[in-house]
Amino acid sequence: MEAILDFFRGADGLTFLSVYQSALRLALPILALFLVIRSARSLLGFRREPEVWAWLRLATGELLPVTHWENLMGRRKSADIVLDFVTVSKNHAVLSRQDDGSWMLTDIGGKGKVEVNGRQVLNGPVDYGDTLSLAGLEMVLEPVSKEEARLQANSRTRAGKGNSPGLTLLLLTVFQLLVALELVFNRPDDRIPVVTSFGITLGVEWAMFIAQKLIHRSGFEVETIAFFLVTIGLGVCASANADALYKQLIAMGIGIAIFLVLGFCLRDQEKAKRLRLVAAAAGILLFLANLALGRSINGSRNWIFIGSFSFQPSELVKICFILAGTSTMDRIVTRRNLWSFVIYTAFIGGCLVVLNDFGAAAIFFVGFLAIALLRSSSYPSAVLILVGVGMLAVLVLAAVLAIRHFPHVADRFSGYGHVWEHPFDNKGYQQTKSLMCIAAGGLFGLGLGNGWMQYMAGAGASDTDLVFAYVCEEWGLLMGVMMIFALAMLGLFVVRSAKVARSSLYTIGASAAMSILMMQAILNVFGTVDFLPLTGVTFPFVSNGGSSMMSCWGLMAFLKACDTRQNASFAVKLSTKEGDKA
Amino acid sequence: MKSISKRTYFALILACILLFGVLTFVIRYFLYADRWVSFAGSPHVYTNGKLDTGEIVDRSGVVLYTSASDRTYADSASLRKAVLHLTGDRAGNIPARVLQAYASKLFGYDKLNGTAAMEASGGLLRLTVSAQVQAIAMQAMDGRKGAVGVYNYRTGEILCAVSSPSFDPLDPPDLSTGNTDGRWDGVYVYRFFHSAYTPGSIFKLTTLAAALDLDPGLAERTFTCEGSLVLNGERITCPKAHGELTLREALASSCNCTFAQIAVQTGKRPLSAQAEAERLEESLNIDGIHTSRGHFDLDGAGDNDLAWAGIGQYTDLVNPCQYMVYMGAIAGGGKAAEPWLVRSAECGGEETYTAETEQTPQMLSASAASVLKELMRYNVEKVYSAAEIPGVRVCAKSGTAEVGSDANTATFAGFLDDERYPLAFIVVVEEGGAGSSTCAPIARAVLEACINVMDGER
Repeated sequence: MEAILDFFRGADGLTFLSVYQSALRLALPILALFLVIRSARSLLGFRREPEVWAWLRLATGELLPVTHWENLMGRRKSADIVLDFVTVSKNHAVLSRQDDGSWMLTDIGGKGKVEVNGRQVLNGPVDYGDTLSLAGLEMVLEPVSKEEARLQANSRTRAGKGNSPGLTLLLLTVFQLLVALELVFNRPDDRIPVVTSFGITLGVEWAMFIAQKLIHRSGFEVETIAFFLVTIGLGVCASANADALYKQLIAMGIGIAIFLVLGFCLRDQEKAKRLRLVAAAAGILLFLANLALGRSINGSRNWIFIGSFSFQPSELVKICFILAGTSTMDRIVTRRNLWSFVIYTAFIGGCLVVLNDFGAAAIFFVGFLAIALLRSSSYPSAVLILVGVGMLAVLVLAAVLAIRHFPHVADRFSGYGHVWEHPFDNKGYQQTKSLMCIAAGGLFGLGLGNGWMQYMAGAGASDTDLVFAYVCEEWGLLMGVMMIFALAMLGLFVVRSAKVARSSLYTIGASAAMSILMMQAILNVFGTVDFLPLTGVTFPFVSNGGSSMMSCWGLMAFLKACDTRQNASFAVKLSTKEGDKA
Repeated sequence: MKSISKRTYFALILACILLFGVLTFVIRYFLYADRWVSFAGSPHVYTNGKLDTGEIVDRSGVVLYTSASDRTYADSASLRKAVLHLTGDRAGNIPARVLQAYASKLFGYDKLNGTAAMEASGGLLRLTVSAQVQAIAMQAMDGRKGAVGVYNYRTGEILCAVSSPSFDPLDPPDLSTGNTDGRWDGVYVYRFFHSAYTPGSIFKLTTLAAALDLDPGLAERTFTCEGSLVLNGERITCPKAHGELTLREALASSCNCTFAQIAVQTGKRPLSAQAEAERLEESLNIDGIHTSRGHFDLDGAGDNDLAWAGIGQYTDLVNPCQYMVYMGAIAGGGKAAEPWLVRSAECGGEETYTAETEQTPQMLSASAASVLKELMRYNVEKVYSAAEIPGVRVCAKSGTAEVGSDANTATFAGFLDDERYPLAFIVVVEEGGAGSSTCAPIARAVLEACINVMDGER
């Protein structure tokens, strides 16, 4: 009993505030745990039921389902349509569905002709009823009837079944209200920005949820996780500098706009393909503007100022970069245009090296690897390895040069691994203070606004590069771990849903987006706790920073586009209108 | 699609790295968070650069240090000076290592609640040393450089751990101008724990332990000393020819020729093994203080080197605290208690740490220990009358280590063979001349003080 009372006692004894805060220290991690578990069950526990888009009837009468928008046909076991006949090549042809529902057949260099209705094609349309022939093996493309489509849509498990996304969002809402209330108690002077920002966030998330219900979509886990991380970020921002909350809100608004627009564009492959070129050009322009106008903060010249508003172009380039890197399978397997992407990456990498931003360079490098790996389908992998190793070498060389010429980079690297020997200088001050504060926070934290890291916000980067320590100190180690779980869960979701993805365009996009975000988290968290050199990278959604917020929301669109659970995502077209009524 | 989907394992690898890294960090948190939070400059436990921990008291409850309001120390200058190397100084030249080691226990940090459960004040660190004994030891050292240590070989409590020279932390010397004669050389070093000395003849106790194990009949043998002995072309000498002598006479007169022969007959391997059993080259962690390592290396040594090594010269180095524990092991029949300095830590009236006695590994055989005990007792009866304490069996061995032309290090080590006062001790005086004449009176004064304190506690 004494121990329980002690737990609730504050500096002024047993007061309402001390009881509330102590209860909250327990309640917040528990709520977060429920939230993360519910989302995980939904995102990682769904049955991966394929969507059937058409049938191929062989001469024997056997029916083969066509389960993707892009299907590799061939003898190899990993083909999407396995044709185990000696005459058929391992990789023979690609059958791909167009946005209007029509089909294309592409010869990808198999031995023996590819024919449609007896006429040889290299890349030509196929109608339902047409006879396809691969090295003499004939089959007929048959449609999925409306009735079949309706049955299929009905039989597939709906997103959110068993784990109602509405209830999860309600948990998040309670979480947010409790956080806001504590901030109002602890920071009465900042109650207006706090109430405003939490109120608007609540409004936006419920509006998005209801809007998606209206278009018969029920998967809201990705957004819920994003808003969960955003909430922690708002809490950090309110504690460090409440005035910056408005800026964060605006950035979130822009980010969500990018998220929605990009998500809708990704519904159709054609739109997405057109967007690729625009994005590639925009990426180059953003970097050129950065090179011309960039100003230096903390040694990296990666900031542009427009009036009093500052932003980091490299953050938005992440979205452009991934879009530019996506590709459809017919292109991937016909050995085209990876070189242009290599050159594009080299340009971006070069810009980042010139701008002296190595954290970002490492992140783009990981993004490149993720994309290149997926696009190397039938490529001689030696080329890729060569390119990868070459780029790594350039990166390391540039880093070595930078360490020689820029003292702040040198300090950060030279303190790595033995920060406790440098608690009072550039080599280890940030990391040791972070570890001290993480320890001070315990498992449940000292309460929002009660930490010490706030005195190191801004120039000391405690609310950005060291945000993991900030969260651990005020929210507790449990919450710090939870936010990493949440992010890793999105990564695992992408890996899981790749099996039933419609097109490689979406798989590449989602996989690259999550690789980039997880790499950011790795550099951020492990840099803070001295597992890696501190490179100054943001934690997705949580670190204070507008550009980062926008880019993270933008990247979430790629996740929505790969979510093919039935009626899950606004960024995925329903396979049939009938599905709506089911 | 299938082949492409498989390659999303890249994202899987990143997720695994992230999760594995976090798991590693959580484990490290549970192992080290108390160290992180009490590290110098930690914002939650330091106010104005001072660790806000509470008080340090000695075994009798005498307050040696208070962290509140700019650090206060013991009342009298002699006490402040006597415990300086434990309490540290204001300038931070001498760290209070025991305080740092137990800081998290003193302010009630716990890994679940962090500093939220921390007590504002009320930390109390109870040491095993007696400030009174320390002051007497400091007085006996009389400004000479060296170390004095006494510990209870049954329980492990260190009663005395003095490093000389020392100063009053309220009146520190200005080393930039006040050290022209070198009298403050190494004053910031805690010599008892953080030095390694050439042991001289006290090391014959190590050689003998190895030799007795190989040849239990050694104690009955007689030896001949002609005043010098040539080994490998090098002459090893005694002050005079001791003639024919028994083992106990050889030890009492510290006959170099006899022990040179014993060392050579025993051989390198058993000697090295004995040094290893005594942990001479290891560092002990005594409540946050890591002792300096000694040195014993016979690689490439000729017979002459082996002989010198066996009588505590050559490249031999021992740490005073370590060798004191070996004395305890002789007294204790081969084993002793591990030494400790901190009896308990309290926070807000609640005990958060209590010391427990642990045993050292076997350092020498019980039979060798019992022979050595008798020989060392004989030493005191015959030679070291200055160390005799009425009613108590003092056992000891002296040494005069040659470290330069005429800078001898005087050493004196031993124990009380008495269950009421199970104390092992060591005294080292740099540039101290002959071992027994310099050190024996110091040892006696300090031991008598210890006996007084222990009697007072009954």
